[in-house]
Amino acid sequence: MIEVIDLKKTYGRGSSATHALKGVSLGVRDGEFVAIMGRSGSGKSTLLHILGLLDAPSAGRFLIQGRDMLTLGETEKARFRLQEFGYVFQEYSLLPGMTILENVWVPGIGLGKNGAARKRAEELLQMVGLGERLTHLPNEVSGGEQQRAAIARALINQPRILFADEPTASLDLTSSRVVLELFRQLNRELGQTIVMVTHEPDDRRYVDRVIYLKDGRIETE
Amino acid sequence: MGDIKLALFLAYKSIFGANRWALALIVLVMSLSFANLLLVPSILAGVTETINRQQVDALYGDIVIDPLPADYYLNGMTRMVSALESVPGVTAVAPRIDSSALIESDWKEKDSPADRGKSGTWPVTGVEPDSESGVTSIARRMIAGEYLAPGDRDAIILGVEIAGGEMAATADFETLQGTAVGDHVRLTYPNGVQREYTVKGIFRAQESRADRMAFVTRTELSSVLGRAVFNDRASQLLVKTTSPGLNTAVLEQMRTLGLSAEIRSWEEYGSVMASVVKSFDMIADLIGGIGLVVAGIVMFIVIYINVVHSRRHIGILRAIGIKRDVIISSYLLQAFFYAAMGIVLGGLAFHLGIQSYFHQYPLDMAIGKIDLTLQPQTIRSAVIGLLAAAVLAGLIPVFSITRQGIIQAIWGH
Repeated sequence: MIEVIDLKKTYGRGSSATHALKGVSLGVRDGEFVAIMGRSGSGKSTLLHILGLLDAPSAGRFLIQGRDMLTLGETEKARFRLQEFGYVFQEYSLLPGMTILENVWVPGIGLGKNGAARKRAEELLQMVGLGERLTHLPNEVSGGEQQRAAIARALINQPRILFADEPTASLDLTSSRVVLELFRQLNRELGQTIVMVTHEPDDRRYVDRVIYLKDGRIETE
Repeated sequence: MGDIKLALFLAYKSIFGANRWALALIVLVMSLSFANLLLVPSILAGVTETINRQQVDALYGDIVIDPLPADYYLNGMTRMVSALESVPGVTAVAPRIDSSALIESDWKEKDSPADRGKSGTWPVTGVEPDSESGVTSIARRMIAGEYLAPGDRDAIILGVEIAGGEMAATADFETLQGTAVGDHVRLTYPNGVQREYTVKGIFRAQESRADRMAFVTRTELSSVLGRAVFNDRASQLLVKTTSPGLNTAVLEQMRTLGLSAEIRSWEEYGSVMASVVKSFDMIADLIGGIGLVVAGIVMFIVIYINVVHSRRHIGILRAIGIKRDVIISSYLLQAFFYAAMGIVLGGLAFHLGIQSYFHQYPLDMAIGKIDLTLQPQTIRSAVIGLLAAAVLAGLIPVFSITRQGIIQAIWGH
């Protein structure tokens, strides 16, 4: 599904240039749950941002279902992010003025599926255990619950790939376990493709495969 | 359609879902900015309006009929007055005979012919009291004594700046130094005729030139100048119309009467004050312009801070695939909402609060009571200015944030 060939990312220029990715090549199959691990500064978040079309590489190729992602224009990228991808960020990323339900619902409105999206948002929130929290504002629920709501939002448009950038970094142990169990359940039961960045060695037991990055290169797979 | 719905939804949630105090503060700032935009130009327009109204009320009426350049007087006055009164829209016509005189008070106390005493030379106008009070406001501006009656021959009314005393603004030595009602004054006319009058009343028209005039009846002044000739003669006819808006139409119709006279609107006559009015208008434009820029900047800063504060949220919206145009539209809608609320609430506050207060307690200035005059162009430029500032304030920061990388917008790096 995902094919990355010799991907490079450099920040800055000349002597102050930082090479975050120095030629990464990898593939992710449909329905796979892949973890990208590595130390801080290894380039794992940069790689995830590029895969999720949130950032652009300096060189290399990146294909999804054989389609070259680097040739997409800004509007096409936005459409791809809305229809094909789901995101769970490291920090709580819900919009503060909206209820939990509205946060999950918003990408659905973006697709013009107003009523259907609302129903699906409710179902997803039930699924992630937040059925009682629909009308709460983000600051009225715990960090773990916010992250579960973010997962529900990521799933609203039935994405092809779910990207998660250290989704448990801000959570306590119990909440982390709940979130990871949820990812595994989605992957096993619905066949959801997930690419997750994590630095917790224990998270390996939830995923199908781990890609280790070191200094912008794949160390082991 | 989905995009519009989403933009509206995002704008609505951003406005009402965020801190209510912040919303109240933004709307308050917008409202005050808008009210301020209306206030200063309205005061200055009120000043020019008062200057103009005083000229109409105390000096000219709405339309002035003068002799042709070759003539000194309007002959056949009675026929002329009848013709003018028949024009639709004319409510009154007042004939005047203009002269001047050396006016002396306490002249018996002078100890030599060189002693100037309490005297001075001022314009003296002969009026028909009833028709004059239908055109000018002198009859209603008496601050002591009474207005002239049609049969008065030995009575005179003086402007406050001739009578002098505590109520006058002019230096004492340039007046009759406190002549009061009931006092006697002696007038020496240019033809040498000397008459004594009792001061029947003192008026203050709050128009500097009118307050330096003296009035006697037209009958009295024509007897001074020569009754046989002046019986059907006037120096000027002042015309009052039902509404200032009709002046041009009335003027046009009067010109078709074929009168041997010059017919002018009061504005042509008011050129003495025109430079003052023009200066005030210029100041009003200048202050209004500065106010507009300041209000625009305030609005820009308030909305800019609001948008910049939402940088992370804009980044998240873009990350989850919300189109750039939708995000820009939602912030534009927000800016429009703040501006519209400012215009509506500021306009209401101005109308119900400030304007009502000024109406009840007008500014008491030397030229008269100043009420606020809100001109349509003031409202128009304030509304357009504020909306334009809102659009720019909403557009510029959100445009720049949505052009940044998503990662930079969310995490600032």
